[in-house]
Amino acid sequence: MSDESVHTALRSDAPLVLVEAPAGCGKTHQGADYARDVAVDRSNRLLILTHTHAACSVFAERTRGSGSRVEIRTIDSLIAHIATAYHLGLGLPVDVPTWARRTPDGYRHVALRVAALLKRHPMIAGALAKRYPVVICDEHQDCSGDQHALGMAMLDQGARLRVFADPVQRIFKETPLAGSTPAQDWVALTKQAHAFEELDTPHRWRSGCPDLGRWTLLARAALKNGGKIDLRNNLPASVSVVVAENQARRNMEYQLAPTDRRAIDAFTRSHTSLLVLTRYNETARSLRAFFNRRLPLWEGHTRSALEKLVDAITAGNADCPKLAAAVVTFMNDIGKGFSPSAFGDRFEKEVRDGCTARSRGKPATIQELGRFLLAEPDHRGVAKLLARLAELKQGDADFADIEMDHSREFWEAVRLGNFEDLDAGLAEITHRRTYGRPKPPDAAISTIHKAKGLECGNVVVMPCDATTFPDREDARCLLYVALSRAKERLMLVVSRANPSPLFQL
Amino acid sequence: MTDIAPLAKPPAAAIYALTIERFRGITSLKWKPSRGVNVILGGGDVGKTTILEAIALLLSPVNPTTLSDPDYHDRDIEAGFSIEAILSLPVGAGISSQMKPSWPWEWVGEEAAVPALEHDGKLAGEPVYRVRVRGTEDLELAYEIVQPDGSADSFPVALRRAIGLVRLSGDDRNDRDLRLVQGSALDRLLSDKGLRSRMASELAKSDVKNELTTEAQAKLKNLDTAFKRESLPAGLDLAITGGQGASIASMIGLTADRSGIQLPLASWGAGTRRLSALAIAEQNQGDAPITLVDEVERGLEPYRQRTLIEKLQTGSSQVFLTTHSPAAISSAATSSIWYVDHTGQIGPLDATKIAKHRKTDPEAFLSRLSIVTEGATELGFTTAILERAFGSVLEQHGVHVSDGGGHEATLGILEALAAGGLRFGGFADDEGKHPTRWAKLHTKLGALLFRWPSLCIEENIIAVVPDDKLEAFITDPTGEKTGIRLRTLADRLGIADKDFAAFKAKAGADFKARIVEAALGTVPTGKESEKNEYKAHAGRWFKSVDGGRELAGKLFSLALWPALKPQLLPFCNAVRTAIGLGEIADLHG
Repeated sequence: MSDESVHTALRSDAPLVLVEAPAGCGKTHQGADYARDVAVDRSNRLLILTHTHAACSVFAERTRGSGSRVEIRTIDSLIAHIATAYHLGLGLPVDVPTWARRTPDGYRHVALRVAALLKRHPMIAGALAKRYPVVICDEHQDCSGDQHALGMAMLDQGARLRVFADPVQRIFKETPLAGSTPAQDWVALTKQAHAFEELDTPHRWRSGCPDLGRWTLLARAALKNGGKIDLRNNLPASVSVVVAENQARRNMEYQLAPTDRRAIDAFTRSHTSLLVLTRYNETARSLRAFFNRRLPLWEGHTRSALEKLVDAITAGNADCPKLAAAVVTFMNDIGKGFSPSAFGDRFEKEVRDGCTARSRGKPATIQELGRFLLAEPDHRGVAKLLARLAELKQGDADFADIEMDHSREFWEAVRLGNFEDLDAGLAEITHRRTYGRPKPPDAAISTIHKAKGLECGNVVVMPCDATTFPDREDARCLLYVALSRAKERLMLVVSRANPSPLFQL
Repeated sequence: MTDIAPLAKPPAAAIYALTIERFRGITSLKWKPSRGVNVILGGGDVGKTTILEAIALLLSPVNPTTLSDPDYHDRDIEAGFSIEAILSLPVGAGISSQMKPSWPWEWVGEEAAVPALEHDGKLAGEPVYRVRVRGTEDLELAYEIVQPDGSADSFPVALRRAIGLVRLSGDDRNDRDLRLVQGSALDRLLSDKGLRSRMASELAKSDVKNELTTEAQAKLKNLDTAFKRESLPAGLDLAITGGQGASIASMIGLTADRSGIQLPLASWGAGTRRLSALAIAEQNQGDAPITLVDEVERGLEPYRQRTLIEKLQTGSSQVFLTTHSPAAISSAATSSIWYVDHTGQIGPLDATKIAKHRKTDPEAFLSRLSIVTEGATELGFTTAILERAFGSVLEQHGVHVSDGGGHEATLGILEALAAGGLRFGGFADDEGKHPTRWAKLHTKLGALLFRWPSLCIEENIIAVVPDDKLEAFITDPTGEKTGIRLRTLADRLGIADKDFAAFKAKAGADFKARIVEAALGTVPTGKESEKNEYKAHAGRWFKSVDGGRELAGKLFSLALWPALKPQLLPFCNAVRTAIGLGEIADLHG
């Protein structure tokens, strides 16, 4: 039983223990169980490093009662903490997190410098290793080379390192920065480890749909080994395959002939616990239209459009036309309808001209919006404008076609107006979101990236064609992450016209 | 694994650098003590004990409750005070288990630096931590760990206690380390955390009420009735309960058998108590606490002083020790010797350069202001002149004049002292040697260093003696040496009789030069075979401490002083100023 050998290996004296952990095989349970055992001894302190705040909360729930002896944090926050302590030696400003957020690839630059600092001064990792004699590294496949270097530096200084990873869930890949350590190769790392174990019991499906669990592990093995998922034989009843051909003319959008979509509609209507998963943001937005806006978009924990808006407002520096352009961009990033042709061009022109031309009807309303910016050319004016826009969508027929698909992001922009200082406001809102841990709606559309870490009774993965899932490493990982979210039923929407090479139809 | 070498075994707790600002008598002091035994010398009231007390306060295992305005320099409370140390800490010292992580600084040999990416290829320095205690303007203490980003976290009691400090204070009544006071050596050794509560519950059981006299019991009963009447808690009894102030555990002390009776160890002599405290600290295995010993000679005979110092020198603890004992100083062979001068600065005494001086005149390093003179004549002369300048004996002011043992040796000693940044006095000739070295010293010491503009003391004084007073000059006031001096002149002039008039006639214009030759014991050309005989002449004139005093006396009895006053008075005033006395306009005969 792998569960037992993992249990034993974690508790051994081996400095470096690696555990390969497919989705749903009890990784968090093993890690949290071990953490609680270590923390029973009051003199021990243990560090759990994750990549997301959501994972931090899960570990926090599972290790409740161990008190401050179990410290759980994201690896980025630990790196920022080290960088703050040594900002004078790293050439960084005192508020490293803000700097990292405002700088392109900021966190990665911080990690790069901290990795170099630890290499130059092993005593810093030594101090950490003494503070945390045991370190659990979760979701190691998402570590950059520089993040990985932090764990290894602590290992070198005597900490015990327990690494959980699923190389088949490695979906956050970035081109390394110049000078940074390349990402660690999992197979090479397994050779360095003093113990290497693999979890292989699909616990997530035990009570519901064991055959789906077994099939998911088989699919994983096929994807990991460069093979194809066999959709012809031995398909359990919980997996259904629908053949449907995308009719959309524009790239990344999705549309089906009525006959093709019948099965999908039936599936999505009959289940309350539902995730519709797709690879690209544009496709997700298109799927919202596909389902007649019946299903909300799951926005996850990041707000790229909001951060872009904040940067644009800062850069605009009270210049009204620039702020107007930023608002148009934001509205089109988070939804549709406030397009340049319908509103944007006119809106920007009115702001440029000072909203003085005599007008009635829709143009007059656009002027009303523009005056918010002229009166308060900053984030507060933007917030009032957006709030008014939401009212107009409800009450003014001219504005009825505007859609805020990322409604949380939209309302966070409105909320920014309550803060005197823009940066402080964004930090506060980000903080609240991080610790408020928003949960996805019961039924939602999501990109695969934002669905990582979630689980759901019923999952539709669409489209499963060659555009979305070509025979590439990243596509294999994304496909596995998508299909392993389902606990009871999985629907794959495949294409015969443009078939994905990852399936055998 | 990667190619990073693991750190070497971390050292015992040690102070690498100490900075004291405005604490008690110390205005500002920066010091980098050695990792072993530091012997601190200096006169009274220069701040030796204050340095020890500053360390004790910084690493205090309890939160001291009272500060008072004399703890602030010049009683200036608003300016605050600060004691800061750069510390190396062993793994067990608890720095890694603080609520908030504490980050190490890098020790770069002279100071603690923020570890940086840039480097010149040198090995990275050791990890050190910056801790400090500040006296605030509210008469409160703020204990802080200073992080490399400049922020400060709390430096809690628990951590200070874990670092450990053994203190053998000069205070006779202090037997803290022989009691179970929190953080004491005994408490650390036994480390029985539950004892306090067990003792409390055990003591609570003792029946106090029945120990009372009948009258007292009756009064207690009446009180109970009164309580009932006023609806206060009733059913009164007496028991030993914990309260504010001294804890129960602090009343528990070590006892020992003395002729069949158990007596508190505190009742033994001061020396035994101090050695016991040290022995307890040593029992803490693997522990090498920073140790403070104030006045090591307190209660200890010279042989026990030597044993103690040797023991400290072989241990691995960092030790700070003050002493006034020549026996202690002479046995501190492998210790670092430091001297606190009258300005409150602390500097190293280079053991090899001052070894001889330390042996021949240890008091030179136990006074507030030490003046090193070139030889015996200068010693006598300087002492006598300064006595006139002070109007009293010099010991009273903590001024000590010593014999440097020759021109070269004196230069060496003064240089060694100046290298430590210390303020000393000096009194020497100008033999025309080492002009640059002397010039350097002059810049450092100013008027505290007296040198004749050229030549030596005898030459300078004889030069200002008028011809009609030469006979009086030669005359020994005690009468002892007058004859023998005349004999040396007779020998040198080739005259049989000791007849002053005859000398004068024979020597003519060179008479003073002949007198100088005799006084200095110069060997005349052609008399090299009788070298020793001629050299001995000097001793018959002024080459002794008494001879120096005689010369000083004659400055006044022969009214030579006005001619030399411009040279000597500034020196006298520099010495007076150094110990806090004002300048004077003249010396009185």
